[in-house]
Amino acid sequence: MLARQNQSKALQWLGKQLFNREDPAAFFDPLLERVNPMWVQQYTPARVVQTLQETSDTKTFVLKPARRWQGFEAGQHVNICVDIDGTRRNRTFSLSSSPILWQSQGLITLTIKRLPGGLVTNWLHDHLEVGAVLGLGEAFGDFLIPEVATPVLFIAGGSGITPVLSQLETMAAQDYRAPVSLLYYVRTSEDVIAGEKLEALAARYPALTLSIIPTHDGASPRYLSDGDLGTVPGLNGRQIFLCGPKGLMDLAEELLQSRGVRERDIHCTYFSAPRANLEHQALGGQVQFSHSNIEVGSEGDANLLEIAEAAGLTPQYGCRMGICHQCSCRKTSGTVINRLTGQASGPGEENVQLCISVPQGPVSIDV
Amino acid sequence: MKTMTEAQLSELERDLNVIRDAVVADLGERDAQYIRRIVRLHRTLEVGGRVMMPFGFIPPVFVAATAALGISKIIENMEIGHNVMHGQYDWMNDPGLHSQTYEWDTVCTGESWRRTHNYEHHTYTNIIGKDRDYGYALLRLSDDDKWKPQHTLQFINYILLSVFFQWGVGLHELESERIRRGEIRLRDKLPFLKDFFRKGGRQAFKDYLFFPLITFPVAPVVLAGNLGANLIRNLWSSTVIFCGHFTQDAETFTEAECEGESKGHWYLRQLTGSSNFTGGKWVHLLSGHLSYQIEHHVFPDLPAHRYPEISEQVQAVCRKHGIPYNTGSFARQYGTVLKRIFAFSLPDRLRARVPALTMGQAT
Ligand code: FES
Repeated sequence: MLARQNQSKALQWLGKQLFNREDPAAFFDPLLERVNPMWVQQYTPARVVQTLQETSDTKTFVLKPARRWQGFEAGQHVNICVDIDGTRRNRTFSLSSSPILWQSQGLITLTIKRLPGGLVTNWLHDHLEVGAVLGLGEAFGDFLIPEVATPVLFIAGGSGITPVLSQLETMAAQDYRAPVSLLYYVRTSEDVIAGEKLEALAARYPALTLSIIPTHDGASPRYLSDGDLGTVPGLNGRQIFLCGPKGLMDLAEELLQSRGVRERDIHCTYFSAPRANLEHQALGGQVQFSHSNIEVGSEGDANLLEIAEAAGLTPQYGCRMGICHQCSCRKTSGTVINRLTGQASGPGEENVQLCISVPQGPVSIDV
Repeated sequence: MKTMTEAQLSELERDLNVIRDAVVADLGERDAQYIRRIVRLHRTLEVGGRVMMPFGFIPPVFVAATAALGISKIIENMEIGHNVMHGQYDWMNDPGLHSQTYEWDTVCTGESWRRTHNYEHHTYTNIIGKDRDYGYALLRLSDDDKWKPQHTLQFINYILLSVFFQWGVGLHELESERIRRGEIRLRDKLPFLKDFFRKGGRQAFKDYLFFPLITFPVAPVVLAGNLGANLIRNLWSSTVIFCGHFTQDAETFTEAECEGESKGHWYLRQLTGSSNFTGGKWVHLLSGHLSYQIEHHVFPDLPAHRYPEISEQVQAVCRKHGIPYNTGSFARQYGTVLKRIFAFSLPDRLRARVPALTMGQAT
């Protein structure tokens, strides 16, 4: 193992000498891409082998990543990149298939809903066809099934079901021996994603209790209620996983807390950057972009990515919500607040994600 | 410099912004495909050159290999490196083509070049005393520098600078002339020197050690070919760059003139301080479209392959405002560069006696 690492270190060193770049293999990408797009080194290529229409606005893409992809655990997400009109776009999606499918057939699936006005999701739906190749990053995220079987409750809304699909499938395959409940909220019964798959799972995996609840089928909306939680036996002994729109997640957290569920038993995964409550802290300050000799003042109402762009700079970015790390840059001095956690950084040199960092006092960034 | 009122200058600014906005709004697939195609061309030439080089003991192969490697370096430095590092393709969000991270195949580090070229040269274009690219603090190219006896030999300096151009550019940030004058200390430049030696060492290692050594029995051939390729690139890029600002009619400016200047004034300075040369498609590609130096200086961050498309519009703006648009054949423009280098090597009184050596703007 060590030998291999040394060897690759040496190769990297040589690559840097010969090609002036950190990823020497990618020097050949422009040529390899022509011969076979699956040989590209800069990212892991994945070929679309099938697309399935789940609902009127949701599709599942079955992908075959190059074999060097490292795999994933149920509940994790990946960054994908696609070139749309000449611009590379990175987005993060949950993997909806189980890791077993990857291990046995080398396939993964992404289940993607069109977002109104969404550039990438709409493009994927309209242009990503069988045979196309997109770029894949390594999987990440800690929205994971408990290692020791304990009772679990999933609360999912809309396309928030995608990581849960992967988890349920995995649990069924592992014969996870503890009660598992799913409360799945959808707008109307038309909007159920992977309905058949869920029914089939419930049929062959008796530990699973499935409730699919349309919120807008009746005359008046019917949201998650305390009564719904009441139907889940032994709620307070369960690990609870939340995934869905912000409104549902907030409501669920509130109801769970009033039922005395402990904070550490609740696991969330986000699909939009929540704004941690930053009001009590004094935010804003001079921001210095040291590479470009630009200094601008900020009021604390914008993140570093927005500040940089307003100053005419073009740092790299992907998701703009703290997931993909494309925007990571070196902070050389000053403190920033992480908008996701509300935590302050240290004062010294460290990497920060521009898109979720708000300056607290003067800050210098290597951009 | 042509004098224009502030009102005229802001009209000039608006006219040029219209051209810029139209291109920016239209950026997309076509530009991405263009630069990707050029990158492929570069990789093909470099790989081809490197593979052929060991067979260079056959003379025609030697010529082909050296030419392929030389041209690959020219394309990488001019059309890819220079333009990418200007941020022309940042909107593509491709880490391989990003201005802040690109590192090119020449001695000068990307970082140092972004400071001295992107920032200094493009901000203070042709302001004597502020634009250190003007004569590279080595050549006297205008009356603003007082004549000294050592200038008599500046033609030799010019030739040396061209031959070793990549090392000259690499050392540009050292500001050796200011160290000599005691304005700064060598010690202040140590971090720069460290980077310079690291990058320069890498470049030398690759072309003069690694590739010759792995082809051991024919090492001298490979070494000679690599030297040749670097020489071709050095001569060509220095020539292109000299043609961009040191032609007969390219103007220079004083610091006083440019104090607190408006954007319109900056535009005017870019238009009159730069010069183009004409040529075929290949000439433009190999010069990184710096054959459209005027367009480049006005819009340094628009993809360079767009310059030919907007040149006519820029010329129309120049005509409208009565601003000269300095262009001519490559041979003509280069001829006037040589003339300038020679003319200013002479003391002013001597030069005045030879009518052929008067420079358009000499005051
Ligand atoms: S842009 Fe994705 S983490 Fe910042």
